[in-house]
Amino acid sequence: MNSLSSRLLISVSILLLFFFGATIAVLDRAFTKAGEQARRDILDGHLVALLAAAEPDETGELVMPYRLREPRFGRIGSGLYAELRDPAGEVLWRSRSALGLEIPVGTIPELGNHLFGREALEDGTPLLTLSLAVDWELDNGAYRSYIFKVAESLDGFNAQIAGFRRQLFGWFAAVAATMLIAFSMLLRGLLKPLRQIETEITQIEEGGRGSLSRTFPTELKGVARNMNLLIDSERARSDRYRYTLDNLAHSLKTPLAAMRALLNDGVDQGLGKRFNEQIDRMDEIVRYQLRKPTASSADNLVLASVSVEKEVARLIDGLRKVYHDKHPEFDVRIDKGMQFRGDTGDFLELAGNLLDNACKWCERRVSIRVVPSVGAQAIASGMVLVVADDGPGIPEDAAKALLERGMRLDESTPGHGIGLAVVKDIAHSYGGQLTIQRSELGGAEITVSIPPVSRSS
Amino acid sequence: MRLLVIEDDATLRETLSRKLEEGGFAVEQAADGKEGLYFASEYPVDLAIIDLGLPEMSGIDIIKQVRADGHTYPILILTARDRWEDKVDGLSAGADDYVVKPFHFEEVNARVTALLRRSGGWASSELKAGPVTLDMSRQEVLINDEPIELTSFEYKIIEYLMVRAGTVISKAELTDRLYDQDFERDSNVIEVFIGRLRKKLDPDNTIKPIETLRGRGYRFALERNQVD
Repeated sequence: MNSLSSRLLISVSILLLFFFGATIAVLDRAFTKAGEQARRDILDGHLVALLAAAEPDETGELVMPYRLREPRFGRIGSGLYAELRDPAGEVLWRSRSALGLEIPVGTIPELGNHLFGREALEDGTPLLTLSLAVDWELDNGAYRSYIFKVAESLDGFNAQIAGFRRQLFGWFAAVAATMLIAFSMLLRGLLKPLRQIETEITQIEEGGRGSLSRTFPTELKGVARNMNLLIDSERARSDRYRYTLDNLAHSLKTPLAAMRALLNDGVDQGLGKRFNEQIDRMDEIVRYQLRKPTASSADNLVLASVSVEKEVARLIDGLRKVYHDKHPEFDVRIDKGMQFRGDTGDFLELAGNLLDNACKWCERRVSIRVVPSVGAQAIASGMVLVVADDGPGIPEDAAKALLERGMRLDESTPGHGIGLAVVKDIAHSYGGQLTIQRSELGGAEITVSIPPVSRSS
Repeated sequence: MRLLVIEDDATLRETLSRKLEEGGFAVEQAADGKEGLYFASEYPVDLAIIDLGLPEMSGIDIIKQVRADGHTYPILILTARDRWEDKVDGLSAGADDYVVKPFHFEEVNARVTALLRRSGGWASSELKAGPVTLDMSRQEVLINDEPIELTSFEYKIIEYLMVRAGTVISKAELTDRLYDQDFERDSNVIEVFIGRLRKKLDPDNTIKPIETLRGRGYRFALERNQVD
């Protein structure tokens, strides 16, 4: 629910609900009111007609004609009723339509007054009633009080209102739904460039794209441009970093090499030996410190895809030359199309150091296996790189020491030493780890596992 | 054997060259990439030692050019750039091995010897052919396991011939590869040395290790005992 479009859709829905709700309420009220007023007018008319029809009989009592002008008074259960009471509430006359029904007395109005009321029959049918209390002047000049009452069932009216409401709701719901659909389509169109940016960033993270395209609308052009600048400068920074380190390594090591050459290499004792030891130390410091990983898992935008098959093939071609006399047998198992998400140099350091060590220590056989490691929510798979040989293996305590407390330069063991420390550093910088075991071939088996890259959010 | 050292650091280049010369190699030196490429293409070279970080032209480009021109002699890279990326680039450009600076001279020497032997088709540093054994790492020649006293120049000749056992080598090539300077370009000298070698290796004239092919040169004639 944290997306722009769902937020907008929810806000718009609430707004529509509120607006249409108010409209419906106002319309409903106006319609009901107008309807009720019309009913009252009609009732009033019936009352007047009733008054006109009433005649006193010879005893001086008011009587109603048998047949009234309004036929509904004569039809049983027609919904329109009339009655005549005395002030005590005693029914003197009741229209034929009210046969068998008991119209409640209700509130009796003051003399000479109208009173509208809402009452109900015994079966619950709602009634709109109009009562009128009058003093009737009899022939003998005396006055007598009567209460005229007309009542109409509201069933029909209520049904009409319900019908009106149904229509009202129906139409408004249809309009609201249409508006929401139209709005979400509009939104899709509007948010398309944003989704495009997202897609392109994902592609950059997956390594399939170098920069954002330049086809965004004006409002987003700036964002895209700045993003590209950021990516470029990150790349430049990482290139510059490596370039600087390489140059530093080069400019430090050539003088070291010259010093060693000048020292007359054969010197095994005295000052020459001690100088040589210091040169070795400086060399190891330079080799280790200046071979730090170039990239890390945090540099998602800068990382590219490295073809594992191609790079391993290059390494093995090279190593076949270097270990020409030893002639190791390489057993290479790499998943087809396997990609490593990272810096090519870093991958070559990982695989190169491990393979070089394996070639150095093996009797005959070196194996390398690379498989992807996948994870939920990952945009690019990780990598499990296993290099094994049939050599003497790495003593357990040495392996443990290396993995646990890291590499201390002055304690580096020759052979597996610095290369492995570099591998470990690179694995860590990609959020991965290094494990050392005994291989099925009999020698060392070193596993580097780099976790999958998950979406940066 | 004639080596080419292309290295821009003067101290390193000169010291390395001097030590290689002491080890019995003839050495050409080049201080930058352009000069290096010129030597590498135009001079008779048995092996080149090339620094990767050179002014004017990178070591990788020299290697590529040399290989593109069809030269097959072994190339050893000297590199200060310890990254595998650089090593792999160098090796796939056509180099055969690498040494990382700062190196021990023994290491360079061992690699050079191994590469030369490999380029002649030998699998180990002990070249054996019939009763003759030549130990390249100890610079020693034995006949029926008896060491033979040789001068360094005599050793250079037999080493050159024996590494390329079976191949005909002209007098001019021998002078080219074995002398540092041009001033002794007298083929008679070679004849004299070959004669002395024959006497030392084969006093009874029974094994006949060196064959003379009139007008063409010499050939180490014994069958190799081990072939790569």
